[in-house]
Amino acid sequence: MQIELNSVNKYYNRGQHNEVYALKNISFSVQEGEIVCIRGPSGSGKSTLLSIIGCLYPPTSGTAIICGRQIARLPDHFLTRHRRENIGFIFQRFNLIESLTVLENITLPLLPLGVPPAERTVRARKVMEELQIGHREKFRVNGISGGEMQRVAIGRALINNPRLLLADEPTAHLDPQLRSSFMDAMADLKKSGKTIVITSHDIQVTGHPKVDRCFTMEDGTMTAGDGI
Amino acid sequence: MRVISKSLNILDYALSLLVRQKLKNLGVFIVFTAVIFLLASFQLFSTALKESAARILTTVPHITVQKMSAGRQIPYNVDYDELLRGIFGIATVKERVWGYYFDEKNGANYTVVGLDQHHISPRLAEVLSWGGLPQRRGDVVIAEPVQESMQLGSRERFSLFRPDLTMKSFKVVGRFSRGSSLVTDDILLMTRQDAADLFAMDQSFITDLLVDVANPTEIDTIAAKISARLPGARVITQNQIHKTYNVVFSWRSGFGSICLLTSLFAFIILSWDKASGMSPEERREMAILKVTGWQTSDIMWLRFCESSVIAFTAFVGGYSLAWLHIVFFDGVLLRPVLLGWSVIRPSFQLAPPFVLHDFLLIAAFSIIPYMVATIVPAWKSAMVRPDSVM
Repeated sequence: MQIELNSVNKYYNRGQHNEVYALKNISFSVQEGEIVCIRGPSGSGKSTLLSIIGCLYPPTSGTAIICGRQIARLPDHFLTRHRRENIGFIFQRFNLIESLTVLENITLPLLPLGVPPAERTVRARKVMEELQIGHREKFRVNGISGGEMQRVAIGRALINNPRLLLADEPTAHLDPQLRSSFMDAMADLKKSGKTIVITSHDIQVTGHPKVDRCFTMEDGTMTAGDGI
Repeated sequence: MRVISKSLNILDYALSLLVRQKLKNLGVFIVFTAVIFLLASFQLFSTALKESAARILTTVPHITVQKMSAGRQIPYNVDYDELLRGIFGIATVKERVWGYYFDEKNGANYTVVGLDQHHISPRLAEVLSWGGLPQRRGDVVIAEPVQESMQLGSRERFSLFRPDLTMKSFKVVGRFSRGSSLVTDDILLMTRQDAADLFAMDQSFITDLLVDVANPTEIDTIAAKISARLPGARVITQNQIHKTYNVVFSWRSGFGSICLLTSLFAFIILSWDKASGMSPEERREMAILKVTGWQTSDIMWLRFCESSVIAFTAFVGGYSLAWLHIVFFDGVLLRPVLLGWSVIRPSFQLAPPFVLHDFLLIAAFSIIPYMVATIVPAWKSAMVRPDSVM
């Protein structure tokens, strides 16, 4: 199992007058090499769930085993380390740093690992070659097309060769052609053994033939889906 | 190796961040450089002045004896053979007439020094740019700024008024070179008889008795003995004059430094405020870095590198500019403050020695407060939640 959540709860401002439940009693698992979709309306808890799977913060209660490690009680330092060794993120609107070049954006996760510049460039070029954006290496990302930005975001997520790829509403601001190309790219990654979790309410994503399972969330709970 | 490589990677990223946010950082850099420039200029100027004063005051007599009445210096007639009899260790004794002459026409004050011809030190000839020392009545040596103030041009003769408004004429026989010392720029050196004549004093009267001592360690002892023998006299030692100069320069530079430290403090508050107020774009960038695997400590190191680069470059820039300002531009911005407002200001080449203690002091008063002021904002920016980009 790449992901195994049992009775996971997450609430903010615990014990205060503004206490908010974000996730209630979530249990589900994802196997290696699967593409899983989590759908649901805004505020349903999709992003919170993805943040816990992505080790951005631990759950308030319950157990969460991500890439073979129980993260519920890991301090922030180890969460970060576990994240950068095993997980790649793709965000809504890609969250690239516009003033940096394509190469610099892709190599960002390698800087705190102490990878020397020459090795960073070699690794990034390999990824860029696979994603067919090598010709844009020295371009600033605010000067490339939406499709290329999408591939830069995927390249940044893949540079550490993660086992788990998480995508948060990756197609929310893309035209149909780019949505399709994004899912094609995910399908290629699935072939190489990556586990992929995508949050989306885009039918083109949730209904894609390469998606193995789909879960539905509503008001912090999982209401429907295979394997619940 | 990985740790070093990681630190270098983050430093490299910090430099790129500084370049990308150049407008914001340039403002801080310029203000910081200007504050350090002024602070270092004050420090270097006053150090150079003290050095210069110390060097020049070695030519001042070991002991100067003046007569006081009602708290004011008055001319006096003394038989110094009688006064100094039995005090051993005295090398030479000179009588001097010394006073100020106000030139109404040019609005300038000159310092008149009258010595017996045989008492004028031959060493003074070394600081003449032209001519020789006074040999006879009517001869005078003037400083170049005095010549300019009097608008003498190539003329060698001029006249000054006695108190009864009769004229006394002089012939310029020599000129002190500009920049030769602190004490010669407004000076008129003449024979003692001429000086007494100019001030309408009795020829047997003097204003000071200058005593040089064979063994400098005995200056204070001999000064005390003279003081005991001449009640009501003011006995000034070379060391006291040196201390007075130091106190005056230290007071002025201290006053200036306090004003500048206030500016530095204001700048630190500004830096704090600027560093604290992260733009949404910066906040987003920090969150992206964290979500891509940067630790909180990595972000803090990144911020530390940014602050260090600004602080050190501003310090090196400000200190270097201050050095150029003092050495090559004679501290033109600070002269009025540190040298006073006299009509003829001393002009001399400033050559501040490198004093490690002063250098470190300025570094401590500029770099450290800036770094401290940016620590908390750095910590705040490092605490950005990575999920804020989702």
